[in-house]
Amino acid sequence: MPAKSERRQPTALTLRTYRVGFGDCFLLTFHYPDEARHVLIDCGTVAFPRSHTAKGRPPMLRVVEDIRDQCGGKLHAVIVTHRHRDHLSGFKPRKDGRGPGDILKACDPDVVLQPWTEDPALAAGAAAPGSPRTPGSHQTARAFTRALSDMHRVAAAALAETKRMRADVQKNIRQQLEFLGEDNLRNDAAVRNLMTMGRRHVYAHAGSDAGLARVLPGVTVHVLGPPTLEQAGDLHRARAVDQAEFWHLQALSSAPSTRRPRALFKGALDLRTHAAPPQVRWFIPRVRNLRGESLLDLVRVLDGAMNNTSLVLLFEVGGKKLLFPGDAQIESWEYALRRAENREEVKRLLADVHVYKVGHHGSLNATPKSLWRLFRHRSPARGAGRLISLLSTLPGKHGRKERGTEVPREALLKELERHSELVSTHALRGRTLRHHLIIPL
Amino acid sequence: MTAPGKHSPPPPSRSRLAPTRTRTLTVIAQDPSVTLRGQPVTAQVEVPAEALGPGPCGYRVHVIDYDATADVLYPAWTPATGADADNGDPFAGASPKAAIDDPRFHQQNVYALVMRTLARFEQALGRRVSWGFYGHQLKVAPHAFAEANAFYTQRDQALLFGYFPGESGDMVYSCLSHDVVVHETTHALVDGLRGRYTDPSSPDQAAFHEGFADVVALLSVFSLREVVRALVDRRPGDEPRGAERRRRGADTLVRREDITPERLRESVLLGLAQQMGQELSRVRGQPLRRSAALRPSPAHLAATEYEVPHRRGEVLVAAMMDAFVSVWSARLQTLGDQEPGRLSRDRVAEEGADIADALLTMSIRALDYAPPVHIEFGDFLSALLTADHEIRPDDSRFRLRRHLLSSFAAYGIQPASRGGGAEKGLWAPPHAELVYERSHFESMSRSRDEVFRFVWENRAALGLYEGAYSRVLSVRPCHRVGPDGFVLREVVAECVQILTVQARELRELGVRAPRGMDPETEVRLEGGMTLVFDEYGRLKFNVQNAIDDAARQSRRLQALWDFGHFRKGASHPRRFAAIHRARALGLSRQVREEW
Ligand SMILES: [Zn+2]
Ligand SMILES: [Zn+2]
Repeated sequence: MPAKSERRQPTALTLRTYRVGFGDCFLLTFHYPDEARHVLIDCGTVAFPRSHTAKGRPPMLRVVEDIRDQCGGKLHAVIVTHRHRDHLSGFKPRKDGRGPGDILKACDPDVVLQPWTEDPALAAGAAAPGSPRTPGSHQTARAFTRALSDMHRVAAAALAETKRMRADVQKNIRQQLEFLGEDNLRNDAAVRNLMTMGRRHVYAHAGSDAGLARVLPGVTVHVLGPPTLEQAGDLHRARAVDQAEFWHLQALSSAPSTRRPRALFKGALDLRTHAAPPQVRWFIPRVRNLRGESLLDLVRVLDGAMNNTSLVLLFEVGGKKLLFPGDAQIESWEYALRRAENREEVKRLLADVHVYKVGHHGSLNATPKSLWRLFRHRSPARGAGRLISLLSTLPGKHGRKERGTEVPREALLKELERHSELVSTHALRGRTLRHHLIIPL
Repeated sequence: MTAPGKHSPPPPSRSRLAPTRTRTLTVIAQDPSVTLRGQPVTAQVEVPAEALGPGPCGYRVHVIDYDATADVLYPAWTPATGADADNGDPFAGASPKAAIDDPRFHQQNVYALVMRTLARFEQALGRRVSWGFYGHQLKVAPHAFAEANAFYTQRDQALLFGYFPGESGDMVYSCLSHDVVVHETTHALVDGLRGRYTDPSSPDQAAFHEGFADVVALLSVFSLREVVRALVDRRPGDEPRGAERRRRGADTLVRREDITPERLRESVLLGLAQQMGQELSRVRGQPLRRSAALRPSPAHLAATEYEVPHRRGEVLVAAMMDAFVSVWSARLQTLGDQEPGRLSRDRVAEEGADIADALLTMSIRALDYAPPVHIEFGDFLSALLTADHEIRPDDSRFRLRRHLLSSFAAYGIQPASRGGGAEKGLWAPPHAELVYERSHFESMSRSRDEVFRFVWENRAALGLYEGAYSRVLSVRPCHRVGPDGFVLREVVAECVQILTVQARELRELGVRAPRGMDPETEVRLEGGMTLVFDEYGRLKFNVQNAIDDAARQSRRLQALWDFGHFRKGASHPRRFAAIHRARALGLSRQVREEW
């Protein structure tokens, strides 16, 4: 006869989708016969909707206070899918101890779950989880985490350079650079706060244990991503080293200061104070724009690399399956669907997903078509059992419609509307703080 | 071997009455990290003489030293005054280290290498070559920004070179790398010769620009005797110092065991790859290292790893380099020993440099025999072989064509020509009867309208698709000079055809629309022909990619669809910047699954 704790099963699930504009914040409550257990998945934003910022208390405080009230001041687990600001800015404390991060810390989570790339022991030279089986692989993992810090430096420098950019650089280039630059800045205060909250820290990778069994009895949490470098394979490992070098070099080339870098050679003509000779005036604004575009390309690449460190979690509870892939993009899915040893089992699980948190705010390559096609609860007809998709996004911030890179991507949005029950934070009106969904189990 | 008597410059003269044809300028031989006795190795190169303005600003190149990161203009190169104005070298005899600290030397370096590459193309093609934009002067920014990248941009009519701090803390300037400058210039020149090659097409076409630019850059380096002489019989990881180095430097012999294709590949190809500077390799990966290490296999091109343009281009480079070492090795086997079992090092180097130079000429000429749209590697191979056969029908000296065929085949590249040519793989002459009476050859060599008249008159025989928009893009008379002074006169004309239909109309053309494509989608089909006329105005070749070639068009559409080209705004005005960055990062993007 199974022990009493093993027989405990949640009977219902409340899923709150917070309206944080461009960012993710979900509070899941698992209702057991005698109590409720609360799990926070991400809490951050880079841009609140205008209705939130208009007046009153800072919106992130309102969000976090609501989380505290909903969970009765106790979180059982906090999950931060990756280090982007739009997923963790809510963990930032304030000097006076009354910031959103302070409130969340006071909720005293039992477990804090993050991807393996966030393990502070890695930087100190420890082995990556699941490694090292081959010689040198933990240096590679370290090189990878170093690359992530270099990417932060590059983002900071790009942001600083954007602020110095002349008016002849196209406005949309400057705006996108600002948005992506901000989102990719390092968030030291929030990261430190996360490190000091919670009783147990788990750093997970594809196939590893999420460490949530004790806090969530009766719930199975499968970790589908991110893969470690070991798992990603030789080719990717070799590439990781090239990429680490590339970002190191970029970080060296960029001074994260608002001051203009010095000229390379003596006797240069400063174009802030002097007019350029007429015969080169046609060319100069073009080089300035190219520089802007080039920086933007660079920041896009690093943004994608960080997105791919996202935890991809599949919750299995009472016959229902919920997929929370953070901002994982195609490269991460490529591993889960095509190269993982247990890919067939992963695909079976995915086929039965009932609730899908739309990857990366609905960007064009975070919901691979081959993933979408797996979901068998997709249906044009409304009714019980139809796939529910949760989209947390704010249009007009990321990407450009003219280039077909807008977020959320129009074609995907249409498909979500047509074949699933779409919950979009953008559709919420007025000062509404969240969407509330109860799933009986 | 291709230096024609007719085109070689008269002896230098200082007289203003008889201006010289060429100017000798000091440049960095490979890149500043290749040193001799602690100093970067410099070389003197000849470029066409002209009265330069400050910049330098000449008739084809305008160097503008603007730095967008610092927002400053660096002091510009100025010409000497007096008798030396048109042919002086301000850096003749200067210490290389001092030169590297002077932006004006950097400006001179890019100017000279761009002009030299242009001159090399013009010499091979036997005519003037234009850039790929309206205008005569390519803008060159030698210190455009602080980033490890360098690229050509057609939209901005420019080459941009970045700089970045190296491992040692010293600044690394991509404008001082011979290979990088030649590579970027080649992009600009190919764009001028075949402007449609940057259009979305097959994976091969996307890769061609990149692979071809590497081929030209590498063959340019290998056609320098000094470089080859130093590399021959080098062993991996072998960096002799002091006395050993001097002994080897003085060693005038090469052992026979060191001239097998395997050993040459290891010593010369991988040796150069090693020398090419770890740091500069970050501008766009290590093309030569990768290509030289790529073992022959016909399976590469079908592998997903080689679908992305920069990786696919490596296969083309590998095939060409394989041909280079096999021709060279075969040639060396026929030479007599200097001492038992040993060959003369100078002779070995000379043969290598000559072969590299012959392959370079052949590669550039091949562009004239390549279709105007949708090039695939097999088209390039047939073009190469035909270009060579036209000017050098007798292949017995180097057996270049035989080796090219087998090297390319080893990498899975078969000639596109279906036979009927004078030798295997050559384009076949047109077989249908053509009407010449209604067009005048004299004006056909100058007028696009006259060429079009000929094309229209013969549209059935030439396979022109009547329902499409058709245009003669260019008419180019050429005087090509062969190895023994033999002159080949030809006129090359490009005619393109464009047909825009909706996806649902494709069926009428027998073309398969990709699955999932909206029937309303506008699809642009391109086709075209390169017409090569002989000196009497008779058509020698019609190198064609027909717009109604249903099988090829279906394949292309599917590839474009898979790679996301029908996504709105998928065109990329900074393609070379993006490709070079993807190379440095080793990215392989999966576009197939995008929304
Ligand atoms: Zn995000
Ligand atoms: Zn290139």
